[in-house]
Amino acid sequence: MSDYFCLSDLSFSYKGYGKTEKLPPVLKDLSLRVKEGSRTLILGPPDSGKTTLARIACGLLPRYIEGYLTGKVLLKGEEIPASEPWLLADKLTYTAQNVQEQLLMTTCGDEVAFPLESLAIERQALIERVEESLNSWGLLKYKDVNPQELSGGERKRLLLAVTAAIDAPLWIMDEPFDDLDEQWRQELKKRLLEKKGTVIVFASRYIKEADSLFDNYYLLNDTRLSEESRATAFSKLQALDRGTALNIKMEKFHQNRELRCEQMVIGHERRSTDSTLPFTLKIDRFSLKTGEVVALVGPNGAGKSTFSRVLCGLKRPQQGSITLDGESIAASKRLAQVAYLFQNPDYGIFLSSVEQELGWSLRHSAVHSKQEQIASAAKLFDLNLDENPSMMSYGKRKQLQGAVYYILNRPFVIIDEVDSGITSGDASKMVALLKQRGSAVVVITHDRSFAKQVATRQYKIVDGQIIESEVGQ
Amino acid sequence: MNTNTFIAGRGLLYWFDARAKLLTVLLFSVMVFFPSQVVMLAILMALIFIVAWRAVTFKQALKPLRTLLFILVVMALFIPLNRRDGVALLVIKSYVIITKEGLNQFLTLALRLLIVTYLCTLYIWTTPMADINLSFRWYGLSYKVALTITLAFRFIPFIGETFTMIRDSHSLRSAHGESEGEKFHIKDLVPTVTSALVFALKTIPHLATTLEHRGFGSGLKRSDYKVLEAKGGLFIHFLLSAIILLTTFVLLNSI
Repeated sequence: MSDYFCLSDLSFSYKGYGKTEKLPPVLKDLSLRVKEGSRTLILGPPDSGKTTLARIACGLLPRYIEGYLTGKVLLKGEEIPASEPWLLADKLTYTAQNVQEQLLMTTCGDEVAFPLESLAIERQALIERVEESLNSWGLLKYKDVNPQELSGGERKRLLLAVTAAIDAPLWIMDEPFDDLDEQWRQELKKRLLEKKGTVIVFASRYIKEADSLFDNYYLLNDTRLSEESRATAFSKLQALDRGTALNIKMEKFHQNRELRCEQMVIGHERRSTDSTLPFTLKIDRFSLKTGEVVALVGPNGAGKSTFSRVLCGLKRPQQGSITLDGESIAASKRLAQVAYLFQNPDYGIFLSSVEQELGWSLRHSAVHSKQEQIASAAKLFDLNLDENPSMMSYGKRKQLQGAVYYILNRPFVIIDEVDSGITSGDASKMVALLKQRGSAVVVITHDRSFAKQVATRQYKIVDGQIIESEVGQ
Repeated sequence: MNTNTFIAGRGLLYWFDARAKLLTVLLFSVMVFFPSQVVMLAILMALIFIVAWRAVTFKQALKPLRTLLFILVVMALFIPLNRRDGVALLVIKSYVIITKEGLNQFLTLALRLLIVTYLCTLYIWTTPMADINLSFRWYGLSYKVALTITLAFRFIPFIGETFTMIRDSHSLRSAHGESEGEKFHIKDLVPTVTSALVFALKTIPHLATTLEHRGFGSGLKRSDYKVLEAKGGLFIHFLLSAIILLTTFVLLNSI
């Protein structure tokens, strides 16, 4: 097999906002050789530059996001044309970690069709390919639905359907297993094994489905890339996972409090189509006690996020009520009791430094030790107070989101896709930090082993109903 | 990165071909600026509202009115005050507040604004974005221009939706035990609006990058996933368009 894709002495620094000088390098003197038809896994802790490297590899950076790049990116021995990225449309496909970055169209069908139209594929073949791709990712029924009306996992499948439809010889995928449920993780693994072409996957943590999937393993850390054996790559990644060494004693702020909901029905309609049944979720009984960690699992689109929005008071149920310590609690009051860490951390982060972001949460607080609290939270979540959140990686932004709610110290906390974009250690650490304050923590995850590791109880969404089940089932 | 403005439904507006509908909206919008009686504009607005109600729901049909309410209130406060000649309708201590002419001018402008807004809103509510794009191209616009216009249609509501998500996130972060009953201050909106704008601005490079990564910009002649199909023939749709426009013209000039 010949070298299909190469990085040669690659270094990259971002340009600071409003500045001309370089920021510290994200990548330094990287070299990578990928054989045709091989599957390569590039592991790295959050903030190690995986997304940056993936975008550079696709010719998407630097372009509209500025930076300083040296070295070469070669595809089949030729330097990729960074000034004309459209020429690569049928040669390589990039699947972003943050799905929202890549959704352009207003229906799922149009989303899959857009790149095929660009490639001038004949109409009948195009229609067949769109339907086949959507069908293979379980989305054909959503062909006319707006992607914004889908769940996070369904949107990820939509991007994978786009990738399948283009069927470029090289797939570059950034955390492709994130947000997918068990069934679709297995399906992705199968697709990657069957892929007649070259695959490069970026990941920040161990994925069970990745076992026996890859031919080559690399570790990206501290601006450098090194080739490793499978075992060494994962063990080094684990060693870098600062979250695992956690032993913190803290005051329990919340004790003996219980949030319950009974005989509840939640629903909403999809406004872009009247052919698809409206979404409905029934909850006979759900309870949450301070100090416990409960996993909430279920397939993509089952309603985990919607249920969370109801619990924290952002959405009203169609039927049923929620009680706190035995008394009914209004949605407006729940906002101050139930924290909800959105799947996309960017909705909750808006200031220009970590310090300001953490401080904003305390502006109503009467405590005198605000600075101490901010510094302590930053330390616990491995954050630099002076850093600009916009320049931080997706995983780091998730950790910042965790730190924000750690400071807010709510008795009930829901973390949506807690392990997406961050290492298992960091995710466990976030859960442990919140739990040790006495809060009840609901973790929404698709990783059963992670659920087993952190949770003592589990609720599962099956056929539109939330039921209690064994942890990890 | 963008939001669909289309609302699924049934009825004449959904059946109506996007090209004929676009022409009707444009000519209709021009026609309401012809000199006409307030009562006729009011009848027309009422008819359009009923059509909107039938096409979507009553609650949804009220949305454009709610959006324009602030502007309408400002117009109601200033236009009559600015036009105080003519027959006095409201006089306080010899100071003329409202005249018949001032009121007439306000109503005319307000109704025109409402009609045009409702027409355009109904068009994007009842026409899938792909059909709007195809209509623009049918009228001779290039794919690039049509895509830019439709992206703008989608991106503006996307900022609106982002604003809602950020507002929700902020309300969760801002909530504290005693928050109920607190006064709302305009300045409270500043962090949310700022965040939504920053969020939207940050998505622009990704939008541009993804468009190019999906092949937009290449010299190839694009194929089409969707084509416009006028049920019953395009002539019927343009005939209907002509009937609607003629009827409106007659109605507006009947008094």
